[in-house]
Amino acid sequence: MHFATPGRANKAGTLSDHDRFSLSGVASRWEPPGMPVTPLLDLRGIDKSFGPVKVLHDVAFAAYPGEVTALVGDNGAGKTTLVNCIGGVYPWDSGTYLFRGEPVRLGSPREANDLGIDIVHQDLALCENLSIVQNMFLGRERRRGLAVDDAEMEELATTTLAGLSVRTVTSVRAPVGSLSGGQRQTVAIARAVLWDSRVIVLDEPAAALGVAQTQQVLELVRRLADKGLAVVLISHNMNDVFAVSDRIAVLYLGRMVAQVRTADVTHAQVVELITSGRSGELGLAG
Amino acid sequence: MMKAGPSPEEIRRHNLGTLLRFVHLRGPSSRALLAEAMGLNRSTIMALTSDLTAAGLVREELPRGPGRRAGRPSLVVRPESTRVYVLAFDLGVDRLAVARVGLGGTILDRREAGRTRGEFDAAETVAALAGAARALMRKAGRDAVCVGSAMAFPGTVRRSDDVIRFAPNLDMRKAERGPAAEGAAGRSLEEGVALGDALSRRLGLGLPVAVCNDANLGALAEHERGIGIGCDDLIYLHGDVGFGGGIVVGGRLLGGADGYGGEIGHMVVNPGGRLCGCGSRGCLEAEVGERTLLALSGRTESSDLLGRDAIRAVVDAADRGDVQARDALHRVGDWLGRGVANLVNIFNPGMVVFGGTLRDIYLGSAAQVRSALATNALNAPRENLKLRTAELGDDATLVGAAEFAFADVLADPVEVLARLRSPEETPV
Repeated sequence: MHFATPGRANKAGTLSDHDRFSLSGVASRWEPPGMPVTPLLDLRGIDKSFGPVKVLHDVAFAAYPGEVTALVGDNGAGKTTLVNCIGGVYPWDSGTYLFRGEPVRLGSPREANDLGIDIVHQDLALCENLSIVQNMFLGRERRRGLAVDDAEMEELATTTLAGLSVRTVTSVRAPVGSLSGGQRQTVAIARAVLWDSRVIVLDEPAAALGVAQTQQVLELVRRLADKGLAVVLISHNMNDVFAVSDRIAVLYLGRMVAQVRTADVTHAQVVELITSGRSGELGLAG
Repeated sequence: MMKAGPSPEEIRRHNLGTLLRFVHLRGPSSRALLAEAMGLNRSTIMALTSDLTAAGLVREELPRGPGRRAGRPSLVVRPESTRVYVLAFDLGVDRLAVARVGLGGTILDRREAGRTRGEFDAAETVAALAGAARALMRKAGRDAVCVGSAMAFPGTVRRSDDVIRFAPNLDMRKAERGPAAEGAAGRSLEEGVALGDALSRRLGLGLPVAVCNDANLGALAEHERGIGIGCDDLIYLHGDVGFGGGIVVGGRLLGGADGYGGEIGHMVVNPGGRLCGCGSRGCLEAEVGERTLLALSGRTESSDLLGRDAIRAVVDAADRGDVQARDALHRVGDWLGRGVANLVNIFNPGMVVFGGTLRDIYLGSAAQVRSALATNALNAPRENLKLRTAELGDDATLVGAAEFAFADVLADPVEVLARLRSPEETPV
């Protein structure tokens, strides 16, 4: 009874040199490199005007699963308008919006949520007098019969926060008003993750945070992408952009002047693209 | 070296080790999952787990929570975290840490103490570490058994006998001086310092204390328990006062001929640059290390803040608009990027992990690091490179030491445990 059967054992025996391999292969977090991936979110030729003011001209934008796409641009370049189009807040005038390769038409933010697109706005939209759990489930409470199922919601909230390796929050029953800026940002992000989002858009998540908190939020953003979500990060801080992003999309006066891999550009090139719309061969044609 | 094939006894030992390693790294797993992952049938798994249960290494229980699947639920195999443990030591330049780590990798209990920089007194350090370890062992249950112990050390350590050969950031003159220090800890640095032997004797457990380079252990920890799970080619860079590295190639730590491999901090990036503690000029450690960053940002070493706090203060000041701090961080980040570019060209890692103080430095100068990388590394090897920060934070080296200490028991669980439970057979 104590011996492995020879046939099976040989199979295990051949693994002996690679037992680390076989173990780590079981639940690999990484996709095989070099695989062509279709973008989760693919916008083409998007135009948007507010009355006589044309804000977005023929904008193309793509976000890929497992990657952080940074959206950068000067004030007034159209970042927020583009994000609001992505999130279904504004209807776009013309252009194609593909989600997982299928054209969609969004009439409201709720429709975007149903597709799995969540936006964490700069003001976070949390209720200070409610607890972390109540905030995360606000308007979408779990029920058991007629009663609200507090136990299950607490468990889900705790596992979601633990899944994001958040260790700074001690109790999920603490009111949000008692949390620091970084912790609030974490709760707002966790709320989006809870609903099986596929695309998360973060509008300036590190604005108004201290250095240590910014670092935590950046690491959280990175972990979200490593879990396979497509993350869109809006930031003015070039350093944060380079610390976490895989691609950088640059908007300049309502035009998408470049969408490049972060590994292929330098800090100076991106700053040049933001301020003048071109840098060497990148950007707007002469 | 062709053998007729492994004997049934060898196969069983291998299977026991593989199963225990799986439960140790992945946590509680059902028999069904184990059978699938190991490619063995369920009755073999049952035989293996009953052996491990008898040895007191795992226990089996019914799955918790409501079973949603049809059929009889598969028993869950859990590591005996509280009964089987190792002692992990971390000797940092600014801190001493000792932890009791249970099977499965949970830190059960820990003690930490600050360390003042200055002359390294081997006898005193060994006494402090042993005292803390004994306090931890007293709190363990009566039936708990210590199955190994290991220490992370900021210096180069010979693999064959765990003797310390070089530690530029600890002032080791006293350790060299001779008979004042206790026993083997007092030989000249030419011969090396056997800190592990001294600590082992002091603990009196009859167990050797393995000594290993801290950054190598950090690499091991991040590969097995941190951000690098599933990534078999990674490079871990660890910043303390000095700057070390661990290179994992094909799932294994690169040790070199004598175990000194991975001293990335002493890769020359700037010939004729700053003087390094090792005597050379322009080492990565000299261009990126704590002293350089503090000097460039106009903060002298005599200030109250040291180590991690001092580096955080520079990053913080840079973020608030201190021009000198920002320039210092940018220059350091540029050198760091060049160093990483060299590594990427040579090793083509899937991931580079920044740990220790380098986490703060990287996050504060990522634009410079990545720009230097984009300019200096070849296009193909950096294509799929991921730059990440250590998930285990300050504990990476401690966790690595624990993993290292578990290696013996995971290789041959039942044999090792039988030896430990019958002390009369213990070889001295």
